[in-house]
Amino acid sequence: MISSFSKVDEYGFERPDDFDYKAYEAFMSRYMVILTRRSMRWNSILSQQSLPDGGTMKRFVRKGVPAQFRGKVWMMTSGANFLKSRQPNLYQDLISDTSHQNWDEIIQNDLNRTYPDNIYFVPSSDGKLNSLYNILRASARHNTSVGYCQGLNYVAGLLLIATKDEEQSFWLLTVLIRNILPSYYSSNMQGLITDIAVLGELVRSKSSKLDRLLKDLHLPWPILVTKWFICLYAEVLPVETVLRVWDCMFNEGSKIIFRVALTLIKLNETELLRCSDFGDMAELFKQITRSSSVLDCHQFMEAMFKLPGSLPSSKIDSLRIRFRQVNVDR
Amino acid sequence: MSYAYLFKYIIIGDTGVGKSCLLLQFTDKRFQPVHDLTIGVEFGARMITIDGKQIKLQIWDTAGQEAFRSITRSYYRGAAGALLVYDITRRDTFNHLTTWLEDARQHSNSNMVIMLIGNKSDLESRREVKKEEGEAFAREHGLVFMETSAKTAANVEEAFINTAREIYEKIQEGVFDINNEANGIKLGPQHLPSNANTPSGGASASQGGACC
Repeated sequence: MISSFSKVDEYGFERPDDFDYKAYEAFMSRYMVILTRRSMRWNSILSQQSLPDGGTMKRFVRKGVPAQFRGKVWMMTSGANFLKSRQPNLYQDLISDTSHQNWDEIIQNDLNRTYPDNIYFVPSSDGKLNSLYNILRASARHNTSVGYCQGLNYVAGLLLIATKDEEQSFWLLTVLIRNILPSYYSSNMQGLITDIAVLGELVRSKSSKLDRLLKDLHLPWPILVTKWFICLYAEVLPVETVLRVWDCMFNEGSKIIFRVALTLIKLNETELLRCSDFGDMAELFKQITRSSSVLDCHQFMEAMFKLPGSLPSSKIDSLRIRFRQVNVDR
Repeated sequence: MSYAYLFKYIIIGDTGVGKSCLLLQFTDKRFQPVHDLTIGVEFGARMITIDGKQIKLQIWDTAGQEAFRSITRSYYRGAAGALLVYDITRRDTFNHLTTWLEDARQHSNSNMVIMLIGNKSDLESRREVKKEEGEAFAREHGLVFMETSAKTAANVEEAFINTAREIYEKIQEGVFDINNEANGIKLGPQHLPSNANTPSGGASASQGGACC
């Protein structure tokens, strides 16, 4: 069909062959109006002497940070600016360190496998692959408890696309690894395994039928959602939706990750419950991340703060303690 | 689609040896030179015929990096077959086989059929591991061995199908308890009506769905 939209999106990703241009066009005509308004509002708060209070900030962030301010706002809200202010020369020191580490090869090997469908990530001299290599290599040297874990390439790659700034991407990756996420990328993935168990428990309490069905199908949660958690939905959800999720994650913390998962499940619960086959269910869990309901990021974000109901940090914290203990006992 | 048996396979081995490419070549008969990284687990399935019987292979393709083993390890149990893959152009992927094998043996059921695969046989000029070394390792550890190329498709069909044949023979010999799904084998709907081999009292609840 003829469309005013190019085969490549504004972030450099080639749109898939089955991309629904019609639905996207309808969404964009609505969303452009919102973006323009948000842009004006953000312009005005960022030009003031001090930032608005936490409540106002949260409201603003949930409605979306305009693309041109993302790097700046993420650096402020996540605490990355604070980390950077304590070691302002760190990144330069790390990238000028030429010593060899074992991580270097595996990082190198993964570069060409990072967003091969993005025009900025094809091997060429002016692309972003060299910056991605620098960020991941610096992170492996600085965040030594993790080194390099596959999946970080996707996270760092999208940070680079969104911020267009190598050093900011490094600090945002560092603040995720060190402060925001509970050891997802460490050698035993303890934090990840715990969080997936926490999600399982949240689903059990909010949708007991689905919980039972998955048990009957012998489908454990890690099979379905490991990539969601490791990649923080990069390479899982449509790019604009991921960035809106990250707006909130950098401001509100890792509990946002559960909200996304619960919303995806709630939005598609009827269809999921109709599934009676292991393979079909695994496939359906992929399809629900690409449906038109996630492509409309604005609507999805609204659903995210309504559908799953209340999700206080204290509840997540106590579930994390409970399931961490279960893992240790096992 | 109807089938007599379902066999569950798992593909393991170091990152970048071509696990996902082998799977794609087997299920879709195509080669993707730049394949996305596998994070966690991906699935593939294909129907094959052995001894006139339809067999569905459900294949679990795993992430290769060591950190992911804390997750993928739990999937070994419940697999009837494993493809343990190394890259003939990277010596270190061959050197790590012992660790992979120990891990697999420790966490799987003892009858799991393991096929050792030296992949990327099309890259002869960059070969670092001789075919004889692969054969010797397989002999020493009681594995079946084959060199494959996911790119040219050489031996890819054979690797998956020969593994299935071994599993099938073990079933015929009565080695596998086919009513225990933890062995990675499931009777399909096609099998049930005329099957006289099902042990009595084997009214297993897991058959309810009669599906994948």
